[in-house]
Amino acid sequence: MLAVDLSGDAVKAKNGSMVAYDGQMAFKKMSGGGEGLRGMVTRRLTGEQMTVMEVQGHGTCYFADRASEINLVNLHGEKLYVESSNLLCTDAGLRTGTTFTGLRGGATGNGLFTTTVEGTGQAAIMSDGPAVVLRVSAQYPLSVDPGAYIAHTGNLQQHFQSGVNFRTLIGEGSGEAFQIRFEGEGLVYVQPSERNTVGGDV
Amino acid sequence: MNYGPAPSYGPGPGGGPGPGFGGPGGPGGPTVLDPYALPSDDNVNPYTFCVELKGSQWFLQKGKMIAYYGQIDFNGIGHGRFDRLLRTSFHSPLHASDWVVAEGSGKMLLADRAFDVNSYDLDEGNLTIRSGNLLAYQPSLALKQSIVPGFLTLIGTGKFVAASNGPVVFMEPPLRVDPQALVGWADCPSPCHHYDHGYMQGVMGGLRQLTGIGGASGEEHQFEFVGAGTVLLQSTELLMAEQPVGQVQAAAGVPGHGQGPLGQQLGVPRMPGQLGDLQRRFGL
Repeated sequence: MLAVDLSGDAVKAKNGSMVAYDGQMAFKKMSGGGEGLRGMVTRRLTGEQMTVMEVQGHGTCYFADRASEINLVNLHGEKLYVESSNLLCTDAGLRTGTTFTGLRGGATGNGLFTTTVEGTGQAAIMSDGPAVVLRVSAQYPLSVDPGAYIAHTGNLQQHFQSGVNFRTLIGEGSGEAFQIRFEGEGLVYVQPSERNTVGGDV
Repeated sequence: MNYGPAPSYGPGPGGGPGPGFGGPGGPGGPTVLDPYALPSDDNVNPYTFCVELKGSQWFLQKGKMIAYYGQIDFNGIGHGRFDRLLRTSFHSPLHASDWVVAEGSGKMLLADRAFDVNSYDLDEGNLTIRSGNLLAYQPSLALKQSIVPGFLTLIGTGKFVAASNGPVVFMEPPLRVDPQALVGWADCPSPCHHYDHGYMQGVMGGLRQLTGIGGASGEEHQFEFVGAGTVLLQSTELLMAEQPVGQVQAAAGVPGHGQGPLGQQLGVPRMPGQLGDLQRRFGL
């Protein structure tokens, strides 16, 4: 559960994720997540939909969603890439948007697009079990199972790497045929659980 | 031998607040791990385990790897190169399609559906575990199928990683355990079924169990362990999904698939009190 102390300021949160609050709160549905008309159209087109409400007031507001673990990410001007389904709450000052992820999305079954969060402030992302934060640097690229990936920050290039060979086709697959390889400088958030993915059983 | 969650959980050598994210307005976010900060063959947090490979090999259940640093290859068990390895450490052809061999050098993170993960050290010992709970093991251990269907036995010296729904509790026999809470057992003879007396009290006892009418506590059936050893329990009765595996080759005397004493097929487990067995209750 996430507790947010508000004193007149606002946060953006996933629609319906409030479980309790004390003090005075106002909840306002934000069409298009506050991204304006262009953002709305982009989200509709990309299928990366996200229903967001704006919470403003004085007091403490508690957010939770399906008992999943909540991880706080501090942003200082960098960009956080996260699946919209994993994004719980952001400071109102953070800008959200949509971006193309390339082939990775296809394998995770999450679509080809993902959500970006940009600016300075905190964002709360959800994971099944506490996320492990792994640093990627030039010498140490990281390979991640698409089903366990939840988010990343920093300047990272994603490569889709596939170990599919004739063995996969005859049912002798390794079960780890698809991975995302991250190169560059940044952080990757990984959850200790795997979503069902298209490539998961191969 | 020594089981017991090998070095306890907790933040890796990196220290710091650990991956238990602080509450509201907590410290500056979670610990960030890199290949140096990751522990070697230890828990990163209660749900994630890190294996260090230095040109060595580990057996791994499919789909339990969530991320890795370095150069690691995953190959299905059927790979011809592994013939020698399989001869010494893998004796469960029915589970072959669920297992892969990881080899290379680097650090690899293992996790399973956000369940608790622990490593155990076996020293010239044996341990039997529910097949769905075993994540990975060192090839110095030999994996064999237990004669109890759905369980696997590890024999030898080495380390293995297992998942449980909630922390594992270690108990000493004599002990009766709920079938759903059983994770595995070490060193002691195989368990036997134990049915409460009421279960066997005539036709009515059977009917009561079948229908639940007249009060069934749901605890009439337990597994009983006797002798010296350790029994591993998980702290929930929620079972982990198990992958169906093939059938053991039918042969006389093989539990589950042999011929019954009267020549009837024992393929379907029959509870005492099941209506189909009524005639035997009457001695017919």
